[in-house]
Amino acid sequence: MVSQGIPEETGYILFLFAATLALVITLRLVISPRDPKPTPEKRAPFESGQIATGPGRTRFIIQYYPYILMFVVYDVIAMFLFAWALDLRALGASGTIPVLTFMVVALVPLAYALHLAGQRENW
Amino acid sequence: MPDPVTQIIQLVTSTYFLEIVLFPGLTSIAILGAFFTWFERKLTARVQLRIGPLYSSPVGGILQGFADIIKLLFKELIIPEGADRFFFIMSPVTALIIGAALLGLIPFAPGIQIANVEVGLPAFLAIVTLSPTLVLLAGWSANSKFPFIGGLRALFQQTAYEIPLWLSALGVVMITGTLSLTGIVQYQQNNGWLIIPQALGAVLFIVTSTAEMERLPFDLPEAESEIMMGWQAEYPGPLFMLVQGPAFIKLYAFAALFSTLYLGGYLGPALIPPIVWFFAKTIVIIVAIMLFRSTFPRVRLDQLLRQGWTTLLTLSIVNIVIAYLIVVGVPAI
Repeated sequence: MVSQGIPEETGYILFLFAATLALVITLRLVISPRDPKPTPEKRAPFESGQIATGPGRTRFIIQYYPYILMFVVYDVIAMFLFAWALDLRALGASGTIPVLTFMVVALVPLAYALHLAGQRENW
Repeated sequence: MPDPVTQIIQLVTSTYFLEIVLFPGLTSIAILGAFFTWFERKLTARVQLRIGPLYSSPVGGILQGFADIIKLLFKELIIPEGADRFFFIMSPVTALIIGAALLGLIPFAPGIQIANVEVGLPAFLAIVTLSPTLVLLAGWSANSKFPFIGGLRALFQQTAYEIPLWLSALGVVMITGTLSLTGIVQYQQNNGWLIIPQALGAVLFIVTSTAEMERLPFDLPEAESEIMMGWQAEYPGPLFMLVQGPAFIKLYAFAALFSTLYLGGYLGPALIPPIVWFFAKTIVIIVAIMLFRSTFPRVRLDQLLRQGWTTLLTLSIVNIVIAYLIVVGVPAI
């Protein structure tokens, strides 16, 4: 509730600012007063009790690459549907035909991509 | 034009400022986060026929969360060798701000809402989308192998649940015709709770939001028994507290969003105040999500991706069709 005539957006930004400030102050209080004594053993990366070998940021095989590619395309498509859903009552059945066409056009390649993603040799 | 000091005093004493600082803002978020830590441990213990936290207060160890916070705050801050210091510290702090930003959008009772924005629902989902990226950054910056694997898992997991999550919320938008969370509650005041027409959407929403919160059975980025807490493995005491905090804040925020979208939010018979109704519904959802943790085994990453892109996506499209038929009606053929 806005009682002092502050616009909602300003208030929300203030809220985020206050959250950030509280956290920074807490962190500052937590970090500063002690006397840290880091030794090489303390600072070593965790590797199940073994002495860590090799770089931490190694390269991995991207096993599920097709899913990532599909996500990049279809996440955006899912956002577009919100614009249609918001005015669905006004648009009615007639306004839905372009959206339906759009969804069919989008979902047929999705089915094919899922078929490809299911095959292990494409990983 | 009043002078700046008067303006600041007016701001500090305004209802709005108190909402931000006390309730539903930062103080209540911190207290409830600590409470839910205890609550989850006690509930899981009861399900597994254990006793759970016991000693930190006269009543069943209810202050365990606060005891944990104090313990973690007084631990030494160790940054691992070769870590990217900025991202290592920035990621959990930003995750906590994200959690607080989510709760700012929820209408807790008529008038008790920090930001009544027109696009509340997409704003909530868009803010929460940032968190897997932060997990990846945290995992990458630690310069260690388990955190990096956890970060990559978070990224893959996001591709599996993100689209079904948005599409299950789309059903609510189609029926109510508004994106504002207050508007959705007002619609339910006139037309009944949305869980009845949107039962499938509600189930999908709770499954995908469990995956979003990275809780069992979808806690792949931090699977303790597989990759040793994953992306959280290298975090020292005080930062570990900041890592664990957002998990409970997100649980609280998602349960609040679920009760707003499907269970009518603060609506209920007038005998009990709206805020009590809201918290009753939210706590029921929180208990349900916590019971998932005690009930289901963890899924594998390839199972989650496959099911997310086939079963969950198909069901969410079916849910859209149901919502469409409710709004427009069955076409006469």
